[in-house]
Amino acid sequence: MMLLVVLAVPLAGALLLARWRGGLATAVHAVTAALTLAAALAVALAVHMDGVLTALDGFLRADALSAWMIMLIGLVDGLAATEAPRYASGRFYPLFHLFVFTMLLAVTTDDVGLMWVAIEGTTLASVFLVNFEGTRASLEAAYKYLLICSVGIAIAFLGTVLVYFADIQLFSDEVDALRWTTLLRVAPRLPPRVMELAFVFLVVGYGTKAGLVPMHTWLPDAHSEAPAPVSALMSGVLLAVGVYALLRFKPVVDLAAGPAFARRILLVLGVASMAVAALFLWTSQNFKRMLAYSSVEHIGIACLGLGFGGAWGVTGALLHLANHALAKSALFLLAGRIRAAYDSAEVLAVRGLLGPLPRTGGAFLAAMLALMGLPPFGLFTSEVMIFGAGFREGRVGVAAVGLVLLVLAFAGLLRTTQTMLHGVPARPPVHASRGAWPAVPVVVALLLLLLTGLAWPPGLARALDRIAAVVAG
Amino acid sequence: MTATANLLAFLGLTATLLLVWRQSWPARLRLFAVQSALLAVLATAIGVLAGKWALLGVGAVFLVVKAWVIPRVLWRIGAGAPVRPIAPGHSSGIALLVAGVLVVAAYVIMLPVNRATELPTEGGIPLAFAMALIGLYLCVTGRDAFGHILGFLVFENGIFALAILATYGLPSIVEAGVFLDVLVVVLIMEGVVAQVRREHASTEEARLRELRG
Repeated sequence: MMLLVVLAVPLAGALLLARWRGGLATAVHAVTAALTLAAALAVALAVHMDGVLTALDGFLRADALSAWMIMLIGLVDGLAATEAPRYASGRFYPLFHLFVFTMLLAVTTDDVGLMWVAIEGTTLASVFLVNFEGTRASLEAAYKYLLICSVGIAIAFLGTVLVYFADIQLFSDEVDALRWTTLLRVAPRLPPRVMELAFVFLVVGYGTKAGLVPMHTWLPDAHSEAPAPVSALMSGVLLAVGVYALLRFKPVVDLAAGPAFARRILLVLGVASMAVAALFLWTSQNFKRMLAYSSVEHIGIACLGLGFGGAWGVTGALLHLANHALAKSALFLLAGRIRAAYDSAEVLAVRGLLGPLPRTGGAFLAAMLALMGLPPFGLFTSEVMIFGAGFREGRVGVAAVGLVLLVLAFAGLLRTTQTMLHGVPARPPVHASRGAWPAVPVVVALLLLLLTGLAWPPGLARALDRIAAVVAG
Repeated sequence: MTATANLLAFLGLTATLLLVWRQSWPARLRLFAVQSALLAVLATAIGVLAGKWALLGVGAVFLVVKAWVIPRVLWRIGAGAPVRPIAPGHSSGIALLVAGVLVVAAYVIMLPVNRATELPTEGGIPLAFAMALIGLYLCVTGRDAFGHILGFLVFENGIFALAILATYGLPSIVEAGVFLDVLVVVLIMEGVVAQVRREHASTEEARLRELRG
C-alpha cells in the first residue's frame, strides 16, 4: 500500500500539473514534492522496522536497498523542488515530477524487465528538461543525451534478454521469470558463461546511465545544460539509479559465475572513471561542467567500493552515493544561482564572487569542501570506508592508484574553486539575488552531511548492514 | 521450424547488409521497412510453430509500429536531407567489410548462448546478434541524424529478433514497454531534428560541435 502511495503521489502530481498551468501550479508542485518526500521517508522507515514491503502481488517490492534509494530520491527531490519555481514555465513541473516518478518506479519494482522500462523512461522524461532553455548548446546536449542513453539502455535490454533466456531454460514460469527474487533463487544453476556475457552488456548499458567512463560522454553536456534542479536530480540520484540497476544483477551473476568476474569489471571501470574525471577537473573552464565531471569521479569511487567488496566496500559505496547526492544537489542549486546572478557559467566570468555574493559564495565553499571529501563531512567517512575496504580485501595496488587519483581530483577542484571565489572580481553580478530562502535546501543538505560524517543517527549502521546483505545475495 | 527461423533470420541479415551497402536514404528506409516486416513474419511464424499465441500479437504490433508508423516518421526526418549524404564515387566497401567482420564476431560472442541451449531456433541467434551489431555500427558511424536514428532502430530490431529466437518472446508488459519506448524515442528525435533544422538549416549533426572538454 505504502509503495503504491509513494509512486502515485509524483505521478498524480505530474498529471495534475500537466493540465494546470495557472497560479496554483507552484502550490501543487510544492505539495507534490512534500508528499513525495514524506511518503519516501515513511517507506524507508517501514522497511527499516518490518523488513521487506511488497505490493501488487510482489510486483512492487522494497527491501533495504530499494528503501535506501527511495529515501535518496525523496530527499533530493525535496531539495531540488525548492529551486524549481525559478524555472517554472510550460512543461517544467509535470516533467519534473514524471522524472521523479520514473526513478522511483525503477527502484521499487521487483521485475527487472519493468525496471528496464522505467530507466528508459527516466531518459524520455528528462530529455525535454535538459533542453528546457532551448539554446543551441542545450539542444546539442539533449540530442547527445537521448541518442547515447537510448543506445546504452538498448544494450542493457540485450543483457536483460540474455538473463531471461538463461532463466527460462531452468524455470518455465514466464510471468515470474524476470522477478529479481526468482533470479536470485535459481542463480546458482544458471549457465555461468551466459550470465557473464549478460553482465557485460548490462554494465555497458546501465553504466551509460550511471555515467561510467567510457560511456560517460553525454553526462557533462546534459548536466551542465539542464536547469539547476534537474541537474541536481540527474547528478544526485539518476546516476545512482544506474548503479542500483547493476547492483540488482551483481548478486545473481556472482552466484552464477563467481564473484571475481563482476568485481574485476567494476574495479577497471571505477579506476577509468576516476582517471578521466581527474584529468577533466583540471581543464574545465565551466563550473557546471566541473561539477558534472566530479559526478563521474564519485560514481567511479562508488564502483571501486563495490569492486573491492566486503562489508566495508559495499556499505561505503552505498553511503558514498547518498553523501554525493546531498553534496552535489546542494552545489548544483548554488551553481544555478551563481549562473543566474552572472548570466554565465564560465569560471573566469564569476571570479571573486565571494565579494559581491558572500552568502552564496560561503555556502558554495562549504559544499565544495564536503564534495572534496574533507572531514567533518560524510564523504570523508565513506571514502575512508571504501579505500579501507581496498586495503583490507588485498587490492592494495588498485586502492593506491585510486587514492592518487583522488588527490589529483581534489587539487583540480580546489584550484577552480579558488579561482571562482577569490581574486579580483571580473565584473559585478548582473542580477541581485533575493532573500534567504534559497539557503534552506543547502543548509539541510550540509547538516545531513555532517550527520553522516560525525554522528551516525541510530539505525543507520543497521540499515547499511542490511543493504550489504541484499547486495551480497 | 528450424528451417523457417533460420531462413527468416538470414533474410533479415541480408536486408541489413543491403542497408549498409546502399547510400541513398529513401532506399535505406525501404530496406529498414522490409527488415521490420521480415521480423514481424519471424515472430508470427515462431508463434504458430511453437504454439506461443502471444507472439502473434507481438508480430502484429511490430508490423504496425516498426514497418509502418516509424518509417513514416523517419520519412519526415529524412525529407530535408540530401538524398546521398556523401558524394557519388565513395563506395561502401569498407563499411561492408566491417559488417562482414561483425557477422563473424557475432558468431564468436554468441558461442556461450548457443552452447547453453537445444532450441530448434538456436541457429538464428548469431544472425540476429549480427543484425544488432551492424545496427550499432551504423548508429556510431552515421553521418547525420537520419543515419544515427536508422542505426539505432536496426540495432533495436536485432535485439528484438534475438529475444524472439532465444526466448520466444518476453513477458507482455516488458514487450509493451519496449514498443512504447522505441516509438517515443523516435518521436522525440523527430522533434529534436526539427528544432536543429530550424536553427541550422541542415541535419548535419557535424555542426553540433559547441560542447567540448
